[in-house]
Amino acid sequence: MNKEKTLLRVVSALSSVFCILIIVLSLSACSPQKDNIYQKSKVLMDTLVIITVASSSESGAEIATNAAFAEIERLEGLLDFYSPESQISLINRNAGVSGVQVSHDVIELIDKALYVSEKTDGAFDVTIGPLTSLYDFHKHVRPDDKTIRKNLALINYRDLLLDNAGYTVYLKRKGMLIDTGGIAKGYAADRAVETLKKQGIQAGIVAVAGDIRTFGLKPDGKPWKIGIRNPNATNDKDEIFATVQLTDMAISTSGDYERFFFANNKRIHHLLNPKTGYPSEACRSVSVIAKEGVFTDAFATGAFILGPVKGMKVLEGMGFGGIIMDNEGKTRLTPNMRGKVEFQVAPS
Amino acid sequence: MSFKSLLRDTSWADRVLFSALVAVSVAGIFFIRDVMPQGQSITIEVDGKPAYILPLDEDRMLSVEGPVGLTTVEIKDRKVRVTDSPCRNKLCVKQGWVGSGSIICLPNRIVVIIGNKAKKKGPDAITG
Repeated sequence: MNKEKTLLRVVSALSSVFCILIIVLSLSACSPQKDNIYQKSKVLMDTLVIITVASSSESGAEIATNAAFAEIERLEGLLDFYSPESQISLINRNAGVSGVQVSHDVIELIDKALYVSEKTDGAFDVTIGPLTSLYDFHKHVRPDDKTIRKNLALINYRDLLLDNAGYTVYLKRKGMLIDTGGIAKGYAADRAVETLKKQGIQAGIVAVAGDIRTFGLKPDGKPWKIGIRNPNATNDKDEIFATVQLTDMAISTSGDYERFFFANNKRIHHLLNPKTGYPSEACRSVSVIAKEGVFTDAFATGAFILGPVKGMKVLEGMGFGGIIMDNEGKTRLTPNMRGKVEFQVAPS
Repeated sequence: MSFKSLLRDTSWADRVLFSALVAVSVAGIFFIRDVMPQGQSITIEVDGKPAYILPLDEDRMLSVEGPVGLTTVEIKDRKVRVTDSPCRNKLCVKQGWVGSGSIICLPNRIVVIIGNKAKKKGPDAITG
């Protein structure tokens, strides 16, 4: 009889412990303060857009994310260089003919593009269209030197006239072309974040390819951890060479490994120097950290073209964070990034 | 021990408590299975919409139809690769075996995402 009572007590005690465990897990799972992270991706702007949000409800996350995707798609319709219906194409068709009235988004983007063009002394030049249109990275086409030289004459951001009051844009010479490829993705990331915030999302990441804008903190209270792709990666394990922790900041990276092909044993990549017509060779990767994605995107391109020394100087002058790997693998940081970059691969 | 003697030697309060504890414990088994992560999966999206969610620990090969044609995806030894796709440059095929992250075929609007929300030791996003 005593043995039976003892057995009953032991079983009851074990069940009690198990029940306490269930109750504790239930409380943590049902906690009203804990958000979950939801992530969704979509192909837009000819690349993969990944939106990550922290939300207390999956349906709320879904609605907000879809609204942000819709905003990016709307901007794509306005800015697509290859779409005849875009406002950029309308401006380009009227080069040397007349100014074109455009939407607020396009005026704002071109205004910021001109600002970066000036600050980088034309290393980033939003009128680079006559050069970029000569290369085809899908079909591995590069132009001949004579054609490059001829088209270089059509590149000059000073011949792009903007009327902020009248919302008109005018390219002074026939044959000039605006290409917002080096700035549009960062701009789209900024606008997508604004959309998410209007939908009530307080923390998340919008990544338009490698142009990333973060806001808020993760549900665990920590900043978002962003990895920087390793230009020298050979497998999954060394895919990232450094990480930074960000909140309410943007980061963009320009790298010679993103779009390229080989011709005569030479890497032909998409970061073209508007002054020479050829891919810039002094850097492998440039990452820029700042408040807005529109500027991280464009300044990453501009700094890449300028090279590691001049590029770093421009970034420091702007008060931005910069991480530059040159063509010898040496890594430089702006002073404000020292101690804030965690290297996975030892920097040289 | 006999069940009858057990019933005789316990009060009705003991029996109620014991029954309740056993019931909650059994229910907890199902609860824990739902909240604890069960392992990785891959998601294959076509034009932004999930088409397949598959376990990563089951080897298989499947063809996914996109706007341009069929993209063939292979899962083996908890890694994923694209073996064939109708795109011109076959960049997705050249990417080879991938254990985490994603494989993208832009022309065919297909994205293969490896991993799930429970696996979050790596960065939250990658730039570059």
